[in-house]
Amino acid sequence: MKHLWSAAVLAVLASGAAAEITVDNCGEPLTFDATPERIVVHDMNMTDMAFALGLQDKIVGLTGITGWYKTSADFDDLRGDIPELAPKYPTVENLLAADPQMFFAGWYYGMQPGGDVTPDTLAPFGIKTMVLTESCVHLDKNRPEASMDLLFDDVMRLGKVMDVEVKAEALVSGWKEELAAIEAKTADLTKPRVFLLDGPADAPFTAGKFAIPDAMIAAAGGENVTHGMDTSWGRTSWEAVAAANPEFLVLLDYQTGNGAADTFKFLQEHPVMSQTDAVKNEAWIGLRYEELTPGPANIDAIAKMAAAMHPVLN
Amino acid sequence: MARLSLNLLLGAVVLIALLLLSTAYGTTAIPAPDVVHAVLLGLGLTEGEAAPVHRIVFELRLPRALFAAVIGAGLGIVGVVLQTTTRNDLADPFLFGLSSGAAAGAVFVITVTGDILGFWTLPVAAFTGGIIASAIVLSLVHSLRTSAPEKLILAGLAVSFLFAAITNYLIFAGDSRAAHSVIFWMLGGLGLARWDSFPLVCAGLLLIFAYTAYRARWLDALLTGDVTASTLGVPVQRLRFSMFFIAALATAVFVSVAGVIGFVGLMVPHIARGMVGPLHRNLIPTSAIIGAALLTGSDIVSRVILAPQELPVGIVTTSIGALFVFLLLYRTAKS
Repeated sequence: MKHLWSAAVLAVLASGAAAEITVDNCGEPLTFDATPERIVVHDMNMTDMAFALGLQDKIVGLTGITGWYKTSADFDDLRGDIPELAPKYPTVENLLAADPQMFFAGWYYGMQPGGDVTPDTLAPFGIKTMVLTESCVHLDKNRPEASMDLLFDDVMRLGKVMDVEVKAEALVSGWKEELAAIEAKTADLTKPRVFLLDGPADAPFTAGKFAIPDAMIAAAGGENVTHGMDTSWGRTSWEAVAAANPEFLVLLDYQTGNGAADTFKFLQEHPVMSQTDAVKNEAWIGLRYEELTPGPANIDAIAKMAAAMHPVLN
Repeated sequence: MARLSLNLLLGAVVLIALLLLSTAYGTTAIPAPDVVHAVLLGLGLTEGEAAPVHRIVFELRLPRALFAAVIGAGLGIVGVVLQTTTRNDLADPFLFGLSSGAAAGAVFVITVTGDILGFWTLPVAAFTGGIIASAIVLSLVHSLRTSAPEKLILAGLAVSFLFAAITNYLIFAGDSRAAHSVIFWMLGGLGLARWDSFPLVCAGLLLIFAYTAYRARWLDALLTGDVTASTLGVPVQRLRFSMFFIAALATAVFVSVAGVIGFVGLMVPHIARGMVGPLHRNLIPTSAIIGAALLTGSDIVSRVILAPQELPVGIVTTSIGALFVFLLLYRTAKS
């Protein structure tokens, strides 16, 4: 009996000695006994984070890339020969076949509440899920409003889990400097009212206070007219948007047809939106999906937005 | 009787073949020898280490194939029961507003309460929603002191619309992305099939099969009309009500793990009647086998046609169903 006890104590001590890594995951702890050697990453924005940290040799598969977007040549170069397990949302079978230890995805970024692939359905197969922080709000309504920490924290979490923390810190502090420089330039300028639009629709799909574009618009020295919406991405009405009279538009460019220019044309022909300052002055910018979802591309996108919405800076 | 046994035997052979195919094919290609090895390993008949492909076969595909068979069989029997008790050829398991109730339950937890019970949150919510909707329909019918089939259909329709409205309200008032999650409940899918919940669906099938087998003679009597059935000593009202109740319960169990899989319950009884006639002693087992084969086959198609993506199985069953109705109409028109 005594032996058993001391063996148990030793076992506990030994497991404590092994480098156990814990990060926050939508308010719950996510713990790894060792650095994952095999990971699968979903979507362009999260893949960009992993590439920025140089994790290519640990990535055994990507999901949700070619089903929706055209990739850039840079992205393809960084990707090399990493296979895509599923062009849109993966099935458990797709993931299990690649035998990963971790899946980096988010709610409506590769996973649907109650769907086939969720942290709960992957756990029995030994696959831990790192959930994109921006998407936590889909299950937990008490999240803080969006800030650029959504990007910084996720890169730091990924860096910590994958044992490249120093690199992550360097990236994040570089980004913070860039944003501070933008803030210094725009601090004394009046903040234009900015409206973000996903594309032509009968009711506009836009970013509320929990989606990262809300924080990006603020970082670029603007004010999101739909900041009052208690949602991540969600629908509002043309009346509400037109009443706010936006002065600048951020249009999502899906790289189909003429991209964001088609969306702008739609607004020019819209009976109410055509009367807003932004449409009359043709003050808009088109940004790609990975620039408007949490990822390294956010930083350049903020710089582009700041330059476009404050012409005096140029 | 000989014809029935032959049919059942044939059906069983087809079903087993489909179950094997369903285990062999999926959204990832796995060589056949590995599949065989995985099944043997899972059953403890051979030694070796459990590689990921083995887990895919034994913990995803095998339960999934069996889920499809059990749920297909169950929906087939529920279809028979409801078509007989309502004397309506178009009655199906979702008559009681079950589908919209289940969807409303699922959307309610997605948009309002969040993930409270982990893996079981959505199944429990969908089950509860489905049961509430059917309870409303049944109590409505009960309080009207009638079991007239057309009243049931109207009540089911009204409740369906009500719950569809609630679902849409929740989506628009809350998280509009929840609309994506609802698709699973509206179109069905077997992606959540796991050994853990297998006893549950088996219980659903056993419930409906045992009760209808036990009451097969009464159901036969009902085919002759209410008056004749009454003179034969069948408590028509009570029978109808208890059948509705059991059917709703079984269907809610199926919906809670697989969403709303349309047309199986509608189509299977017709095919089965064409093969073995209207008497329930033959009709019930035949419908069960056909339902099982149909859903297992449809599930294979749903996984293979767009691999590595997966199609909701309801899309497959409803397209087969629509073709089936065309054929039915064409044949009736010709004869």
